[in-house]
Amino acid sequence: MALKVVGTRQKRYDGLAHVTGETRFVDDVFVPGTLAVKVLRSPIVKGRVKNLDTTAAERLAGVAGVITPADVPVNGYGLIPDQPVLAESIRYKGEPIAAVAAVDEDTALEALDLIHVDIDAQEAVFDPLEAMKPDAPRVRPEGNILMFGERNFRQVVLGDIEAGFKEADHVIEGEYFHPALEHAQLEPQTSLAVPEANGKLTIYTVSQALYFHLGMLAGILHMKPDDLRCVCKWAGRTRSSWRGSIGLSDIKYVGGTVGGGFGGKNDIHADHVTAILALKTGRPVKWRWTREEELLYSTYRGAWIIKIKDGVRNDGRMVARQVESIRDAGAYTSMNSYVVDKHCFLVNGPYHVPNIYIKGYCVYTNKPPSSSMRGFGVTPATFATEVQMDKIAEAVGLSPWEVRFINAVRNGDQTATRRKLDSVYLIETMQTLAKRAGVVLPEKLQAMTSAERGA
Amino acid sequence: MAQAEFYRPANLDEACALLTQYGAKAKVIAGGTDLMVAVNRKRLSPEVLIYIGDCGLNYVKMVGDQLVIGAFTTHTELAKSSLVMEKAPLLAEAVGQIGSRAIRNMGTIGGNLVTASPAADGAAALMALDAELKLVSQNGERVFRVESFFTGPGETVRQAHELIKEIIIPPQAAGSKHGWYKLGQRKADVCGAVSAAIVVEMQNGTCRKARIVLGAVAPTPLLAQAAGSKLQGKALDHTVIAEAAQAAANATAPIDDWRATAWYRQRASGAIVKRLLEQISV
Amino acid sequence: MPMLELRVNGRDYRVLVEPTTTLLEVLREKLLIISPKVGCNTGDCGTCSVLLEDKLVRSCITVALVAQGKEVTTVEGLAAPGELHPLQKAFHEHYGSQCGFCTPGMLLAAKALLDENPNPTEDEVKEAIAGNLCRCTGYVKIIESIRAAAAEMATAKA
Ligand SMILES: Cc1cc2nc3c(=O)[nH]c(=O)nc-3n(C[C@H](O)[C@H](O)[C@H](O)COP(=O)(O)OP(=O)(O)OC[C@H]3O[C@@H](n4cnc5c(N)ncnc54)[C@H](O)[C@@H]3O)c2cc1C
Ligand code: FES
Ligand code: FES
Repeated sequence: MALKVVGTRQKRYDGLAHVTGETRFVDDVFVPGTLAVKVLRSPIVKGRVKNLDTTAAERLAGVAGVITPADVPVNGYGLIPDQPVLAESIRYKGEPIAAVAAVDEDTALEALDLIHVDIDAQEAVFDPLEAMKPDAPRVRPEGNILMFGERNFRQVVLGDIEAGFKEADHVIEGEYFHPALEHAQLEPQTSLAVPEANGKLTIYTVSQALYFHLGMLAGILHMKPDDLRCVCKWAGRTRSSWRGSIGLSDIKYVGGTVGGGFGGKNDIHADHVTAILALKTGRPVKWRWTREEELLYSTYRGAWIIKIKDGVRNDGRMVARQVESIRDAGAYTSMNSYVVDKHCFLVNGPYHVPNIYIKGYCVYTNKPPSSSMRGFGVTPATFATEVQMDKIAEAVGLSPWEVRFINAVRNGDQTATRRKLDSVYLIETMQTLAKRAGVVLPEKLQAMTSAERGA
Repeated sequence: MAQAEFYRPANLDEACALLTQYGAKAKVIAGGTDLMVAVNRKRLSPEVLIYIGDCGLNYVKMVGDQLVIGAFTTHTELAKSSLVMEKAPLLAEAVGQIGSRAIRNMGTIGGNLVTASPAADGAAALMALDAELKLVSQNGERVFRVESFFTGPGETVRQAHELIKEIIIPPQAAGSKHGWYKLGQRKADVCGAVSAAIVVEMQNGTCRKARIVLGAVAPTPLLAQAAGSKLQGKALDHTVIAEAAQAAANATAPIDDWRATAWYRQRASGAIVKRLLEQISV
Repeated sequence: MPMLELRVNGRDYRVLVEPTTTLLEVLREKLLIISPKVGCNTGDCGTCSVLLEDKLVRSCITVALVAQGKEVTTVEGLAAPGELHPLQKAFHEHYGSQCGFCTPGMLLAAKALLDENPNPTEDEVKEAIAGNLCRCTGYVKIIESIRAAAAEMATAKA
């Protein structure tokens, strides 16, 4: 069969619109009568809102509506619905407390100044290692470490780690730190919510995960029960945040044009606030984050501490890998439970190790919630494990190439999560890479293939 | 909110009259590359804007042996001006690295001075060139050396009713050499974490006079006088250069901010001065 | 409110503006010319770049009234309707645009460069677009696109 597209170079389907300037991003959609939104963010890192008085703000000419936690139907969302849309318990500096919709941004900002809020400040904790201590200030009432079932860490076990280390001639340890990182996509978080005459709500979104957010949003809005026509592949995971009342068909979610995401638009940042304000005021409402808000308060790749201990034989074969990783989640779970899952499933790298023991902690601190970014915890894992591979090479006196060839996964190998692999081409990929980089590999490595590993 | 007003005076006299009338309520606007950032960040909401683009302040010319630059001259114009390149190449080099093209196309030398940022690149270069600036108002003219113009971050001796008209650069002695370096996190659109502008007058292998200016390491651009004196009357050998560099580092009073720590700024100041003097000495 | 008269992409407009209204606000909100984007509103990112009298400027920190009587060019004015400027064509063919958010500003930075230097080196291209951030492409394809357009324009002239 002749393939029409595979193997050919295709232009972007949206490329022409991009270069002619016709592409409409969310901020490029203008609806007459649209109100501007500004959000009151906590000046305090941790504490409880004692008193919130918005009367003066509501009376300001030009203000159409003010929302507080009391206006949010279901005030919790996320993979684990622990993050409030508007907070009463403050867990990070800059956490939204109230939101204003007004005729323009300046009026909305003026209204924010008129909101009176008293916060009882409490002690905060910023360092995940400090937060893990039993007597640390509590970021969350349930504790500072996310529970994965019975345990307070995600565990991945294969083989017998102790036996693996006994078999080893060398034990190689490394500790790695990966700092936090902002996506800094060029299009800021933006949302436009338009109440329609037929009672439905249209939302123009920058979401990278539209159907996922549709479900979450319906959960937050607690709309009237409806059938589950739009169940997406995420349904199983998000059900908990839907709380049973779903009105998916009440929301028309318009998206797909994303001005850069990189994982920074996998969490709802603005659609919930605009939706609630639109429903409350009956007017179209647009919220565009400032670049400053984006850099300070949007999600980001959380920092990692990754400790690795490898057992290796004199011939370069890895026989044991033990990893303990700590993820700084910030104040809420957002995507972090999945980030830690994926990190643990893949921190072993593309190498076959018969005995594996991995522990991944997801730790809360009083910082803005971190979340997904390009690789969901795998990119920092790769940084750590690839440096570790070079250390192994040095310890056993082999070239970095050879150590990777010897340990590379092959067809028939089992991953840390007990999946049997097929269609593996790692050896061939490395051979091609060496060729292109002008590296002449020893014949032994050139002769290797990804065929099943002999005994 | 009060209704703001916008004026577009057609000459300097009109501009001065408006400034006398509105005083501190008014903001002069030139390229707007500093002013509008403050407006957009809601740090400033001027009641009156006076745009000085039509006042005839856009020029580079020789008056006698002095190079005279109108306050409304843009960085792009300065960097490309053959007169500036010939008479004050340090200035051309320094403002040629301000921001990026779009910023240089709008930003002016007058705005750079009045903003009075400790990191202002044009200001540092002008200070090293021992330039003067002329303020005008309905009360007449006042002339200041650039080094005595600044009184603190964002603060100058300029009064609300005054305008910078022009900048006057004295002739540079034969045998003058200069050095410029800006240390930032990237090349474009950054304020320097440390910058240095140096002018050294050499005669028969010895230094007659040196002006070493450091940016972003004190509340205003800093003229490191002690460092300059170390070079006076000496040949620029390793020992002399090291002493001057150390004196320059000692003169700094930097702060910690997101661009760099005070510790780093001080060390980098010494290193940059040393490097520039080494380049100048060969 | 003062009246602003300006020409955008060859058409004359008249709008009422506040003294501190920016050129970006006029283009986007009053004239509904949406190709200049709000990436930062503080002059740092370049997504709002336009040409003012053929000079590259950042419309987010340009006071609209400064453009009084002047000519502004945005991407919409690069080529006649239905046609593509060689830069637009090259960005499309050489993958110089991914999400597209930086693209309009990037095209104008490139246009300003080629107007003044029709045959730029790679380093000259880098310097010219240094103020325009792109988070998607890594710039390599943008530089390729600009040089390809320059080559095409040179051939067309010859
Ligand atoms: C992205 C970006 C990058 C930048 N990078 C640099 C850099 O690398 N180095 C650097 O030094 N600066 C930098 N700047 C700052 C700025 O561009 C320069 O300081 C520029 O020279 C300011 O000139 P302007 O004409 O735009 O000033 P405006 O913004 O028009 O005015 C600035 C101030 O000066 C006053 N003023 C202007 N002209 C006069 C006058 N003639 N008389 C009296 N008062 C006057 C105004 O009232 C205002 O208070 C950058 C700015 C941005 C946005
Ligand atoms: S929006 Fe103007 S430079 Fe970023
Ligand atoms: S293409 Fe997305 S920012 Fe450049």
